Order: sequence, then structure tokens, then C-alpha cells
Amino acid sequence: MLTFIVIGIIQGAIIGLLALGIVLVYKGSRVFNFAQAEFGTVAAFLLLYFTTGRLKMPYLAALVVALALTGGVGFLFERLVVRPLFNAPRVTLLVATAGAALLAIALELKIGGFEVKQVAPIKAGKAIGIFGATVTWQQVILLAVLGGLAAGLAYFFNRTDLGLAVLATSQEPVATELVGIGTKRMSSFIWTFAAVLGGVAGALAAPDTTFTAGFMTTNFLLFAFTAAVIGGVTSLAGAFIGGQLIGISTALAQYVDITYLKKWEIDIPAFHELVIFILLLSVLYARPQGLLGKAA
Amino acid sequence: MAIPRTAAGSLLPLLQEGMPDARGWLPRRIAMGVIVLFLLLLPLPLDSARASWIWIGTTYVMVGISVNILMGYLGQISLGHQAFVGVGAFTSAYAVAKMDMPFLLGITLAAVTGALAAAALGFIALRLTGLYLALVTLAYGEVAEKVIFNLKAISGGGGGARAPRPQGFTCVSEGGVFNPELFTCEKSYVYLCYAFLALLLFIDWKFVRSKAGRAVLAIRENEIAAASFGINVVGYKLLAFVLSGAFAGVAGALFAHGKNTLTASVFDFRLALTFVLMTAVGGLGSRAGIFLISMFFAIFPLAFNQYAIEVLIVGPLLLLLTLALAPGGMGQQIKPIVDWLNGKPFTFKHDSGGVATGGGGVRP
Repeated sequence: MLTFIVIGIIQGAIIGLLALGIVLVYKGSRVFNFAQAEFGTVAAFLLLYFTTGRLKMPYLAALVVALALTGGVGFLFERLVVRPLFNAPRVTLLVATAGAALLAIALELKIGGFEVKQVAPIKAGKAIGIFGATVTWQQVILLAVLGGLAAGLAYFFNRTDLGLAVLATSQEPVATELVGIGTKRMSSFIWTFAAVLGGVAGALAAPDTTFTAGFMTTNFLLFAFTAAVIGGVTSLAGAFIGGQLIGISTALAQYVDITYLKKWEIDIPAFHELVIFILLLSVLYARPQGLLGKAA
Repeated sequence: MAIPRTAAGSLLPLLQEGMPDARGWLPRRIAMGVIVLFLLLLPLPLDSARASWIWIGTTYVMVGISVNILMGYLGQISLGHQAFVGVGAFTSAYAVAKMDMPFLLGITLAAVTGALAAAALGFIALRLTGLYLALVTLAYGEVAEKVIFNLKAISGGGGGARAPRPQGFTCVSEGGVFNPELFTCEKSYVYLCYAFLALLLFIDWKFVRSKAGRAVLAIRENEIAAASFGINVVGYKLLAFVLSGAFAGVAGALFAHGKNTLTASVFDFRLALTFVLMTAVGGLGSRAGIFLISMFFAIFPLAFNQYAIEVLIVGPLLLLLTLALAPGGMGQQIKPIVDWLNGKPFTFKHDSGGVATGGGGVRP
């Protein structure tokens, strides 16, 4: 069982990283960004493109360029889609982000083709083995990056002027404009930053397995949203904890499924999805603002 | 004045002064007749494969009308609509194939179970709004696809559930109710789907003009104001969900029996997004717009299946262009024509009543 928990923590880290980006956009623009996971896939594809083939850039340089370009995608997305819909109902904007995600998947298929891809990790090999689970260096880096980002973002939003400006924009755009903060610039900044965060999640998660177009969206998006909501959509620490909660619950559900349900001949397909759905409904029922969120 | 402005607006055409006289109506009636005749004759010259596109498109239109009840009339997003469609599809397949029920009973059961599935989500929707609800509908659809539709008892294991076509429309024994030379099985099935679509469109048309329809529109505009006028918000919200679910269930059943076999993976998350996309591009609240665009979204990938990837690009691109440039969707583009058919003068004059926001919606 402990093996499953270790796997759950690592999965939870990827989910938490995506949830951080979702929370950031929600804090800034009050919208659920359905394209958040796709930023990750874009970064993974760019990383693959720069590290292999004709370019063969050094790995870290390729990583930086890939993340920068992903940030650029986020910037463009804000300019072309989010800004024209600045005053539209939030649900319209949500549909737009979902459309952008689908468009990105289609373009990845068009450019990358249908075959399964693999990209090299930052540092190959096994770091440690605990409780029968193998933890690779890549996964250690992933956990460290997540921890660092969560702490850094908490500092950013509570202590820096720019962070406070972002929060002000989300809460009272007109008043923020009046005190001389450009809300449009803030919006650009938020989306660029969120895209980079999503890119980090994708670039770190991709080497763990093989991947195809849209893999971050199909594998993680729903879980990341659930994590963000369970943690409280406005809380960065909540996103981190929600990610871990989802990751570990999923792993435990799979453990129960394999060891007990199969033995008792209870066959529930995708049992862990059911568990997460019930978890989501219970949290929304008992604490609609999420575990660490403030009541609206 | 107990009826909010927008709700009363849908009544205005009935009361308006200056409606065309008999001579004015004649060309409009002829034009409508030509459109209907075109749709009725459309399948006849097609081969079997192309005729099947038409009935698939027809089921998509039904789904579009169903999504529109929630998104257009009630103003509530639904990212789990494939769940209702799937519930209807599997129910009808089970009833007809495993329990030997007649087709019409199967489709009735599909409507009932689709409505129940939607009502369950409706109860959650009473407590949640906006983005939170969007997430729950999304998760609901995921669970339906991955868990419920994969249960062995329902799906019949990996091979998929069987869903035979009704007597007279089967492809095994050609020569059912119609002349088999002229009406191959695919073509006769198109007319069966047309009949059900006509029924659903009629119910939808009646619904918007009824007391219940006006109440639902009022809730969309302002829930608190509606409640203060004595509108039963909880009841009418659930009613909208039930109606939408029933429509989706019927669409699912017709889709299932047309396809003959049914697998869970058809009803994935991307299908739900396609439903939302086509309804938004079609134009919330506009039946004609939704009809055209749903047909397009269904038929386009089938017709250009050798360009599978390029086809995937077109849908989302259309959505983004629609949201950015014409939030009223196709309904906004064809409004002059639809207005003219309804007896108003033909004009391109821009009437943005409720259109500009997209989320609010075009008046039905």
C-alpha cells in the first residue's frame, strides 16, 4: 500500500502544479482555464523538438526556450481570445478556453502526428527506492520544483507589489484602474505566467512516460480542476494540498480496487474516477469554498 | 408587470401591429415550404453512406436543441451532456435487445432515464452555480463514460451493446414499410429521425411560449428577481434539466439504433465539448442556427474523413471566431431570414437585444 502512496504523491505533484496555474488564472481573471493542461503538452512538444532532430540544443537551454515559448503562447492567447471577451460572461470565456485547448490538440496532431513520443529526462535514472516504489531523479526534481513554486508564489502574492496588483485586478478591476494599475497589462502577465507554470508541469511530467497530443489534458486536467476546487479556488496552498489529496486518493482507490474489489469479484470500471467524483461532491457539499478557501 | 422584458418579448410577434396581410404571407409560406421540401427530398438522391450522414446529423441537431434548453434558455453550462445522451442510448439498447421491448417503448424509456440522469445533475445545480457547476457537470460526464457505461451488465463487456433497428427500418431484411428500391434502410431511418426531430422541435417551440418557458427565461435573467415575482425557481430549473435530459435521451436512442452497436468510449469528454461548441457556434436560443451548425458539425468530419486532423482544427477555430466576432453565432447571421419568415420585414438592421453577451442568449 505504501508503494501506491508514493506513486500517488508523485502524481499529486503534477496535478498540484497544474492546479497552481488554474488558481493563478482564477485569482487574476475569475475564469476556469480549460487550456491550462494544454500549455503543458505544448511545452513537452517544444522540448522534444529542441532536444532532438536538427537543433539538438543542450537540455537546459532547450527547456528554457520551450518554457519561454509556452509563455508566449499564453501571452498570445490572452491577447487574441481573453481580452476581447474581457466583459463577456465568465462561462463564455470558459467555453473559449476549452475551444483553445481543442484547437491546440488538433494542431499538435497535425504537426506531431499520431505516433507516441518520448523525451529525455533532466537527469536519468533512479534516485531512491522507498517502500518498493522506484523514484526517479526526474520525479525528485518535480517534487522540489513544486514545493519551491508554491512557496515562491505565496511570497509573491502576499509580499510583492506586483502580486498585490494582480490580486487587486481580480477583485475590483475598476478601482484598480483608478489607482493607476493597468489591468490589461496585469491580465497579460497572469496568462503568460500561468502558461509558463503549465509548461513546467508538462515538461517535467512528460519524460516519465511516453506521450501523445493532448496527453496532459486527457490525463490530468479534470483532476487538476478537482484539486483546485477542493483546495479552495483562490488558495495556492490549497491547490498544493488538493493535488496531493487527489493523487493519494487515486492511488489508494486503485489499491483497494486491485486488492479487495477484485477478490470480492466486484467489478467497477475506473473505480478511482468514481472515488474522486464522490470526494468532489462531498467537499462541495460540506465546504463549498474548498478546504482552504475563504467564503465568498 | 410580472413578466420580465425578455420573456414578454417572445410574445410580441403574436400581438404586433403591422403584421403582413395574406399577400405578404404567401411568399413566406412558399419559402418555408421549399425549405421543408428540400430537407424531405434531400436523402433521396444520396447513396447509403451519405444518407446515413443525414440521420447522424439529425440526432446531433436533437442534442443541440437539448443543450440549448440548458445553455440558451436557463443560462447554465453543461459539459456532461454526453452522459444524458449515453444513458438514453444504453437504456434503449438494453430494453430492445435484451428485454425484447418494442422500439417505441425503448425510446420512451430512453427519454425517461435521460431525464432522470439530468434531474440528478439538476439537484446538484441547485446548490452550485457558474464555474463550480461546470466542473461538476464535466466530472459527471467523465464518471458516466468511464464507470457506468463500462459496467458489464450495461455495455455487454468489451464488444459493445447491441442496438437493433426497429422493424421495417432494418438493413438485414430489405423491404420494410417503404418501397425498398427507393428507400434503402438508411434512407427510411432518416425519415424516422426526421419525425422525432419534428416532435422535439415542436415541444421546444411550445415550451418557450408556455408559462414554464417564460419562467425559465426569467430565471436566466435574474434568479432573485424571478423568485420575488413568485416564480418557483427550484421547480422550473429542474424542469429545464428534465426536458433537456429527455431530449438528449431520445437523441441517444436514435443514434444507438442507427449504429446497431454501442461502445462507452464514444461518449467521451470531447463529444461533450463538441456539443457545447456546436450549440454556441449555432447561436444560443436560435433553433435555425443550431440546426445548421449541428448538421455541419456532424456531417463535416464524416464527409472529409480523409482529412481527419484538419477537420479537428475547424470546429474549435469556428468557435473562437464566433465568440470573438459574432457572439450570437449562426443564429445572428441568419436572423434577417428567420425574422422575415416569421412575418417581419427583411432587414439587416442590427438588433442586439440580448445577443452581444453570448452567455445570455439570443431570443428564441
